[in-house]
Amino acid sequence: MLEAGFFYLFAGLAVLSGAGVVLVRNTMYSVLWLIFCFFNSAGLFFLLDAEFIGIVLILIYVGAVMVLFMFVIMMLEVNREKYKEMSLQYLPAGAMIAIILLIEFIGASASGVFNTETIAAVGHLGKDVNNTVEIGKILYTQYLLGFEIAAIILLVALVGAIVLTLRTRKDAKYQNMTKQVKTRREDRVRKVRLES
Amino acid sequence: MANATFPFPENLWIMIPEMIIAVMAMTLLLVDLFVAKDKKYLIAYATIASCVLAIVALLNIQSADGLMTFYGYFVYDPFAVFAKILILVATVFTVILSLDFMKDEENVGEYYCLILFAVLGMMLMASSNNFITFYLGLELMALSIYVLVAYQRDVLRSTEAALKYFILGSLSSGMLLYGVTFLYGVTTSFDFNAIGQALASTNASAHIAVMLGMLFVIAGMAFKVSVAPFHMWTPDTYEGAPTPVTAFMSVAPKVAGFVVFMRVLVDAMPAIQHDYTQVLIVLAGLTIIVGNVAAIAQRNIKRMLAYSTVGHVGFVLLGLIAANQEGYTGALMYLTIYLFMNMGVFAIIILMRRDGIQGELIDDFAGLSRVRPGYALAMGLLLFSLAGIPFLAGFWAKLLVIAAVIKAGHLYLGVLAIVFSVVGSFYYLRLIKYMYFDEERVTFNFIENNGMRFSVVVCALAVVVLGLYPDPVIAICKNALVGLI
Repeated sequence: MLEAGFFYLFAGLAVLSGAGVVLVRNTMYSVLWLIFCFFNSAGLFFLLDAEFIGIVLILIYVGAVMVLFMFVIMMLEVNREKYKEMSLQYLPAGAMIAIILLIEFIGASASGVFNTETIAAVGHLGKDVNNTVEIGKILYTQYLLGFEIAAIILLVALVGAIVLTLRTRKDAKYQNMTKQVKTRREDRVRKVRLES
Repeated sequence: MANATFPFPENLWIMIPEMIIAVMAMTLLLVDLFVAKDKKYLIAYATIASCVLAIVALLNIQSADGLMTFYGYFVYDPFAVFAKILILVATVFTVILSLDFMKDEENVGEYYCLILFAVLGMMLMASSNNFITFYLGLELMALSIYVLVAYQRDVLRSTEAALKYFILGSLSSGMLLYGVTFLYGVTTSFDFNAIGQALASTNASAHIAVMLGMLFVIAGMAFKVSVAPFHMWTPDTYEGAPTPVTAFMSVAPKVAGFVVFMRVLVDAMPAIQHDYTQVLIVLAGLTIIVGNVAAIAQRNIKRMLAYSTVGHVGFVLLGLIAANQEGYTGALMYLTIYLFMNMGVFAIIILMRRDGIQGELIDDFAGLSRVRPGYALAMGLLLFSLAGIPFLAGFWAKLLVIAAVIKAGHLYLGVLAIVFSVVGSFYYLRLIKYMYFDEERVTFNFIENNGMRFSVVVCALAVVVLGLYPDPVIAICKNALVGLI
């Protein structure tokens, strides 16, 4: 009973915040609604005993991806009026995708694959299994090599991004600390004899 | 599986070459910070040293054939060793070619580190016996090379080339992964051998998911080795990338890609050999035609060589179609010889950058023989070899794969290959005509150094020596296949 209550709470808030993302005018508020939506989805995952996916959703999507989104939006200059005109232009394509998705959802839920007997959670609920521990065990043993390579790939991505963006510009002024430290009094101070 | 215990990985020592490369790459990344801008060549020397060290380590790992480490996610066999040595040799050449070319660029230290990371990715690909290691190695290689292509950031075509390569490369990775999911869905394994056994035990050819998986996996791999019709990125990327990077891209990733290609075909797909052969025949025929015909129309030599690479890749595919020892030996031999031919040609192209001209147009080569007869002779030999003129190395490469494919019963494909090999020799010979029979139009003030001279001489000599006496290398290629088939 309690679980069902929480389910409807999280699901309802997720739908509400999803609608908020689309309906709000200000892009920054949209992002905040999306963050709220992610928190509620994470709550749904917790209810299904998939606590690892829930944590990852919050850590990665809220912690990293959405912060990146915010930075991007802050850097972009969003023209509200133009945005309003363009939204009508995208309506047919968007509506088509929405209708296709709706048909797919209805088809999937009517197919009988998702009835109460086959819900994966039913068998797992109440069992003493810790997803995070199990995933950790297998990730750092059997898939260790892949894990290490993935780490190196991330390093290359970092180095690559820095190499391609960091450049000394000719028209900008830079501080040369070695030069500053090595400067002696004679380089800067000049004794001028003033005729009195 | 969750209850299985995993002790500390055994046989870690068979990974020593990879460890050397990885540790050196990361160390150089740090050391670079303390090296003055006019001393960056030290980083390049350290890169060469780490490659040589890795080769020495590879040759000294004894009695480890077929050993695996990391719970079967990394395999060591003669096949992988052979491929890794080719990749490392190509890298040494690349670094030598880069010394002068890149010295005025910014962030030169990271350039060499990224090359080392790309090498690490390719070495992992060569040693992969499952799709996880394969894919991660592939991405490590691809990501490093995307950055290397864009290295001359202020040059518009370099950026454009990198962007095109990046977008199409991501698309091909997506296709590869999509195919892998199909194969995993049917066989519940990422391991090449396990997939092969699972496919053999069922009537795999009838299964549409297996066919889709095979098609997407082949398409993904075909993209990486620029097989037509997945070659669209090749000319633009080759033209835009800094020339040493082009040289690197045209050899090392091709070796790694083909090695993994062979492993997938031999280990994972023997049960559907009939089906994949049909796909490969179409791809190989198309590749040979497109590569050799499109190269004729090019005025930029890097674009021309890009199409020439496509053509040569088609010939290597012939070896894979034959799918027997002769065919695979031919493919390995082809890759070995292609390494020397291409590195030599690109060394000379880099030398042609002079007096503010790029030296990439065919016209820039006019009259080379009068001014620098030595380089003209080397270039002539390399081009003749690329064209497949008898008693130069390129001839044996072509002969082996064509003979293998004809013996395997695909006579028409052999004939097609011979015909288009003749068509292809046109554009190589045209360059020779420019060098030997035309008046020079611009001055030749080469900036030479001993490294460049060394690469040109070594490559030209290798082409001649292998042309006159190819048997030892053929024997080495044959031995490399011992673990595979």
